[in-house]
Amino acid sequence: MKKLIIANKEFNSRLFIGTGKYSSNEIMAKSIEASGTEMVTVALRRVDIQNPQDNMLAAIDRKKYLLLPNTSGARNADEAIRLARLARAATDINWLKLEVTPDPYYLLPDPVETLKAAQILVKEGFVVLPYINADPILAKKLQDAGTATVMPLASPIGSNQGIKTRVAIEIIISQASVPVVVDAGLGLPSHAAEAMEMGADAVLVNTAIATANDPLKMANAFKLAVQAGRDAFEAGAAGVKNQADASSPLTGFLRD
Amino acid sequence: MMPTLKINGEDKNFENVPSTLKNLLEILKVDEATVVAEVNGNIIPRNSFNNTALHDGFKIELIRFVGGG
Repeated sequence: MKKLIIANKEFNSRLFIGTGKYSSNEIMAKSIEASGTEMVTVALRRVDIQNPQDNMLAAIDRKKYLLLPNTSGARNADEAIRLARLARAATDINWLKLEVTPDPYYLLPDPVETLKAAQILVKEGFVVLPYINADPILAKKLQDAGTATVMPLASPIGSNQGIKTRVAIEIIISQASVPVVVDAGLGLPSHAAEAMEMGADAVLVNTAIATANDPLKMANAFKLAVQAGRDAFEAGAAGVKNQADASSPLTGFLRD
Repeated sequence: MMPTLKINGEDKNFENVPSTLKNLLEILKVDEATVVAEVNGNIIPRNSFNNTALHDGFKIELIRFVGGG
């Protein structure tokens, strides 16, 4: 498997992991390890003043995993930019999953506000990984604005529906000069493998692993699926045909 | 009226407002290594918690990382 390079950083794993929805920090940490990932997303929220001791970050080995703070909860560019600056102040890292989701029901990203925020944050030196709907025009505009990747959604966040935006993601992949990370909606390892077979550079998975009955086993299943899908893409798929094409020789039959 | 700080959107009364952001975190038992703070809308670098003075009526946001996708 070829190494993935984002903003000059090499990744051996093409699976990125979200850290939400785990039943405990311990299961989260073990699942992260089982997934083989090298980058995990985190969110920023107000400290619960009544319970100030809770600190999930302590469970993540920062030497092994790059933190990718997200701007979840931002409803417009200004809120996303504020969260981005806070994340950078908190970690000294400038990587950012940019997401702007004004609609709480489908959590679909706002293309106008996302582009606006990306343009500003790239100028401020952030490595911006924008979460977007599978819109090839928007993907090109973000890439032109200097984002490090584009991250089109497969289907709504946490819906586990799999790849419902296949045609658009294929166009994005064919036009991209930056890595394409399929993010959101991948519910099964087969969905992740499908994305990788299509030529996606990586996938980001959270809900499908965190809410599985056995998150560790599911993390490993996604790891294998991502590797298999990527290897299949690099191997080059055999063509699809309308009629049969015998695998065994068509000569030397035992008949006269 | 008692001096007040607005912390994470909620008014909190103090007999005496903690003199610095670092003092406030100690009173709230928040580990300063785990938080990022805004005072009146300005991000305060962690190494400035100690010399960021607080006064009655200041708005403070204390933020940290949580699990997210």
